[in-house]
Amino acid sequence: MDNGKLVEELKGLLIRSLKLEDVVAGDIDSDAPLFGEGLGLDSIDALELVVALEKTYGIRIPDEDVGREAFGSISMLADYVIKHKS
Amino acid sequence: MYSLDGKVALVTGGSKGIGKAIALALAHRGAKVCINYSSDDKAAENTLSELMEINGWGMKIKADVSDTDDVKRMVATIVKEADTVHILVNNAGIIRDSLLMLMKDDDWRRVIEINLNGVYNCSKAVLRPMIGEKWGRIINIVSPSAIMGRPGQTNYAASKGGIYSFTKSLAKELARLGITVNALSPGVIETELTKVLEEKVRREFIGMIPLGRFGNPSEVAHAACFLASGESQYITGVLISVDGGLT
Repeated sequence: MDNGKLVEELKGLLIRSLKLEDVVAGDIDSDAPLFGEGLGLDSIDALELVVALEKTYGIRIPDEDVGREAFGSISMLADYVIKHKS
Repeated sequence: MYSLDGKVALVTGGSKGIGKAIALALAHRGAKVCINYSSDDKAAENTLSELMEINGWGMKIKADVSDTDDVKRMVATIVKEADTVHILVNNAGIIRDSLLMLMKDDDWRRVIEINLNGVYNCSKAVLRPMIGEKWGRIINIVSPSAIMGRPGQTNYAASKGGIYSFTKSLAKELARLGITVNALSPGVIETELTKVLEEKVRREFIGMIPLGRFGNPSEVAHAACFLASGESQYITGVLISVDGGLT
């Protein structure tokens, strides 16, 4: 799967799993940090996202250090998923 | 009466005593119950048969709750068999009483490892399934020692007090995700442990209990079923004492 297609898919997953009712994929900047600013997501949202990602792509986000790397932005998350998915 | 139909529960230390009473009570309310145990295969086998008789479902898994990998394997097995885990009762615990000055280092270490680290291992292992379900109940069995202190129980009291603080923090972490975390504190309960007490000690204990008697495992189990149910959804981070007024 190419990165661009996965980026769009991940935006959809983010919106669905965190029930971001007022957000559409076009609102999400692929290069902006996922947490702390922009979408206003916090660390508890991250837990839900981790579970959704692990279920969907069979990847593992074992701890905060890895999470910080993976959640740098949607593009970085796409890179992480491509690199680790089973 | 607090239906738990369709829920999957894990009770650690569930083959005997209070853990067994909770396991059977959860099954009576419709939950699929897996008991964890550490050593007594025969008791676990008996409890499993009783579970099967109640609602046709049951599982037993031998695992050391203080061993992180063992716990991961245990939870993975339950998820494979029953799809998820909705209810965790952290009941497994040991007592190694001794006055501190004469306490063996190993008695301090094992009590903390099994009682406190066990709660860490098991709670952490079930979070992914519970968050996936957006529903969960974690019930941590503590003790009056955690609140009152008791000579000879620095290790046990520290482990149970630690579990209580853990309960409060985790409750705040998970509240938004539909997962509640509460502590349940049984007082002096009629089990194998208290059956062997000398009459003098028995009377001494009873003198401290306003209700004037020991509790029954089923009285603890009722409270556990309430905390495990949907009806308790607005209760999190609290300690419920089932101790006849002792504390």
